[in-house]
Amino acid sequence: MGRVTNVVLILIAAGLSLWSFNSGAVGGVSLPEHAGSSDQNLAIVVNLANSVSDLSKVELRTIFLGQRSYWPNGRRITIVMLEVGHPERKALLQEVCQMTEKDYNNRILHGLFTGELFVSPKTLASPTGVRKFVFNVPGAIGYVRRSDLDDTVKVLRIEGKLPDDPEYPLHVDLRGVK
Amino acid sequence: MFLRNYAVSKALDSLLGFARTQGQRLSKYGSLFLTIVVCIVALGLGIFAVGDLQVVDLQAQQMYAVSVLGLRHIGELQYEAQETRRSTLYALTTNDSNRQLEYADQSRAADRHVTEGIAEYLKQAGIPQEIAMGHNLEADWADYLKIRDEVLASILEGSAKEAVDLDLKGGVPSFDRVRQDLDSIKRLYDERAAQQLALVDTSSRRSIYRLITVLTLTISFACISIWLVQRSRLAAALQLARLQMDFVASISHELRTPLSVIRSAAENICDGIVDNAEQLTGYGSMIRNQTRQVTDLVNQILLFAATRQRKQAYALTSVPFSQVLDSVTENISELLRDGGFVLEQHIDPDLPELLADPAALTQCLQNLVVNAIKYSGSSKWIGIFASHSTSENKVLIRVQDRGIGIAHSELKRIFEPFYRSPAVSAAQIHGTGLGLALARNIAQAMAGDILVQSELQSGSIFTIQIPVSPESQLRVRAKGFTTKASSTSK
Repeated sequence: MGRVTNVVLILIAAGLSLWSFNSGAVGGVSLPEHAGSSDQNLAIVVNLANSVSDLSKVELRTIFLGQRSYWPNGRRITIVMLEVGHPERKALLQEVCQMTEKDYNNRILHGLFTGELFVSPKTLASPTGVRKFVFNVPGAIGYVRRSDLDDTVKVLRIEGKLPDDPEYPLHVDLRGVK
Repeated sequence: MFLRNYAVSKALDSLLGFARTQGQRLSKYGSLFLTIVVCIVALGLGIFAVGDLQVVDLQAQQMYAVSVLGLRHIGELQYEAQETRRSTLYALTTNDSNRQLEYADQSRAADRHVTEGIAEYLKQAGIPQEIAMGHNLEADWADYLKIRDEVLASILEGSAKEAVDLDLKGGVPSFDRVRQDLDSIKRLYDERAAQQLALVDTSSRRSIYRLITVLTLTISFACISIWLVQRSRLAAALQLARLQMDFVASISHELRTPLSVIRSAAENICDGIVDNAEQLTGYGSMIRNQTRQVTDLVNQILLFAATRQRKQAYALTSVPFSQVLDSVTENISELLRDGGFVLEQHIDPDLPELLADPAALTQCLQNLVVNAIKYSGSSKWIGIFASHSTSENKVLIRVQDRGIGIAHSELKRIFEPFYRSPAVSAAQIHGTGLGLALARNIAQAMAGDILVQSELQSGSIFTIQIPVSPESQLRVRAKGFTTKASSTSK
C-alpha cells in the first residue's frame, strides 16, 4: 500500500513538472506575449552614409569594446549606448560583449586610461535618442529593438542575418521587464 | 368805359397767364434738361474718379502684397537662418548627448523652415533678378547645411575643438554668404517697395487732382445750369413785360382812333356844324361804323381770353359752308366796298357739310379774310376757295391774297398770340396780334387746324381744315355707291 502510494505521488509530481516545463512557468515568472518573436531582436544601426552593411559578432564585439576605432572609410567610430537598466543594453553586453555591466565599465575606463579609446561611448536615455544620434553622426553605431526601427538609420546584417530573419543571433531578453 | 376796362383787364389777365405759363414751361424743361445733363456729367466724372481711386487702391494692395509681405517673409528667413546656426552652436555648451540632440533637432527644424521659405520665394519670383537671387540663396544655404551637419556630427561625437574648427573654416564664410544673399533680396524688396510707394504716391496725387477737377466741374455745371434757369425765367418775365407794353400800346391805339372819330362827330353835331339831314346821316353812319369797330375789337379780345382759359364751349353741328361764307361776306361787305377790294369765291359743287360751330367758324374765317385785307397791299384781291379732301376727309377753306407775304423765318411765329412782325409794325399796319392766334385756337377746338403758305411780295394762302360732318359723309358714300351701281348697270 505504501509503495503504491509513493508511485502515485511520484507520477503526479512528474506530470506537474512536465506541465510546468511546457507552459514556461518557470520560477513563477511569465514571459511577455511577444517573447521570442522577431520584434524583440536587437538591431544594430549605423548612419545612412555608412558603407558597411554586414558584421560578424566578433567584429561587433571589437567595436563595442573600443578595440576598433575607425570604419573602413576612415570615419571615427562613435559608440552609442542606452542608459543602464535598458534590456537592450543588457542584451548587448551579454550577447555581444559577453560581459557584465561592471566588467564593461571597467573595460571602458581601462581603454580611456590607456588611450585605446578616444572618447567614451555616448549614453542616451531612449531608443529615439539613439536613432537621432546615429542619424546625425556619420560614424555612429548603436542598437535598438527591431520594433523601434525607422528609415532614418541603416540596419546592419549580423552574421549575414537581418533582425527579421528567424536565425538572427541577437535577442532582447524581456524576462523580468514590467 | 366799363366795357373797355373790362375787356382790357380780361385780356391782360389772359396775357399774364399765357406768358407765365410759357415762362414756366421754358424754365421747367430747361431746368430738367440741365439737371439731366449735370447728373450725366457728374455720374460720368464720378465713375471716372471712382475707377481712378480703385487703381490707386489696387496699387497699394500690390505694394503691400509684394513688398511689405515680401519683406516680412525675408525677415522670417533671416531669423530662421540665425536660429539654425544658433541652435547648432548651443550644442557646444553641454556634454549631455541628450541635450545636444535637442539642439540638433531645433537646428534641423529651423533649417527646414528656411529651405521651405527659399522654395516659396523661388516659386513666387517673377523677374529674372529675383530668380537668380533665389537660386544663389538656395545653393549657398545647401553649402552651409553640409558644413552645419559636419559641425553637428563633431559636437555629438564629443569633438568640440574639431566642431569649432569646422565652423570657423567653413561655417562662418558660408553663413556669411547666406546672410549676404538674404540682404540682397531684402534690398531688392526695399527698392521695389520704394518704386511701388512712389507709384502709389503719384497715383494718389493724380486721383486727388482729378477728384478736385470733378468736383469743380460738377459745381460749375450746377452753377451754370442754375444761372441758365434763372436767365430763362428772367427772359420770360422780360418777354411778358414787353408783350404787356406792346399789347397796351396796340389796344390803346386801336381804341383811341375810333373813339376820336366818334368824339369829333359828336362835337360837330353838338356845335351845330351839322345843319342838314344828309350830313347828319353821314355822321350817324360814321359813329355807327366806329362803334362797331370798337365792339369788334373788344369782342375779339374777350373771345381770345375765353379760348385761352378754355371757357369757350362750341356746339358742333352740320353746317353748309355757303352759310358761313354768306355771314362772313355780309360782315365784311362794307370793309370790302370801302377799300375797293375784289373778292373771288369758288366752292366745289359737291362740297359736303362741315362739323363745326357756325358762329365760331364764321369768326375764324372772318379773321383770316380781315387779315388778308390788311396785308393784301396794292393788289386789292382776295380769294376764298373751298374744296373737299377725300384722303383726309376734311373740308379745306383757302383764303388767298396777293399782298406783301410773310418771310419764312416768320411763318412759325405768326400764330403766337400778340406776335407782330417787325416789318408789319414798321409799315404802320395796326393790329393786336390776336387775329391769327384766335383763328387757329377756334379751328383746333373744332378738331381742325390752320396751315399757311407764303412768299414775300407774292402773297399768302391760309388753309382752314375742318372735318366733314358724319351725316354728310354718309350722303357722300351713298352717292358714290349709287354712281358706281348705275355705271355698272350701263
